[in-house]
Amino acid sequence: MNTGTDEDPLPDVSKFEENQEEESVSFQIRPCLANKFKCEKVKEVIREVLNEKLKGKTYDVAAAGQWSEEIAVMIKDRVKELNYTRYKLMVQVVLGEQRGAGVVTATRCLWDADSDSYSSEIFTNDTIFCMAVVYGVFFY
Amino acid sequence: MGDLGEESQFVVDEVSAIIKQAIEDAIGGNAYQQSKVNQWTSTVVVSCLTALTKLEKSFKYIVTCTIMQKNGAGLHTSSSCYWDNATDGSCTVRWENKTMYCIVSVFGLAI
Repeated sequence: MNTGTDEDPLPDVSKFEENQEEESVSFQIRPCLANKFKCEKVKEVIREVLNEKLKGKTYDVAAAGQWSEEIAVMIKDRVKELNYTRYKLMVQVVLGEQRGAGVVTATRCLWDADSDSYSSEIFTNDTIFCMAVVYGVFFY
Repeated sequence: MGDLGEESQFVVDEVSAIIKQAIEDAIGGNAYQQSKVNQWTSTVVVSCLTALTKLEKSFKYIVTCTIMQKNGAGLHTSSSCYWDNATDGSCTVRWENKTMYCIVSVFGLAI
């Protein structure tokens, strides 16, 4: 049954090329400097997003849940634009009302300290506090 | 990567049980005390991470713990991730007693 052979060669070639590309990167076990997760740059991104979304706002129970979601997605998208290829990204946002309650956050990671990193930033105004953390984990 | 057996997957129930246990052990029935909170949060993350490593899976883990005093103020957390849905996962547990909220999140990333 050779009916399809005339049309098939193209997709076959592209598949082969893809495989080859995958194989050539899979031997890289450390990110090169240009592609390394840079805490300072990410921190700037977080600060930008937090200021953009929260500056001048007052806490509102109904909207706060949605704000925190929007902030998380927005930060993720902006960090993706920095083009850290082969990094998995996790963004966590904690947004709360500023009313004098104590808040403590601890974080601890089991990972490869050479290539993986995180960056965090805190925003506060009179009624809102918001902490955002971005973790970047290199995958081999 | 093709192998998706129990060993290479993030089992949420398992992790959520570990987190609950860690919180109960560290905080239990204690009331919010400013001087103790730092210690509690670090105890929770450390014992979660220790228990997770004992599962002997090839994962990288990220554990965060937030404790907030209850005084009527609101608190929201969200997370957003860019990863491989098939292998990686997250688990968040919300726990509270009369005086505080405790929120623990664990992210597991397959190596």
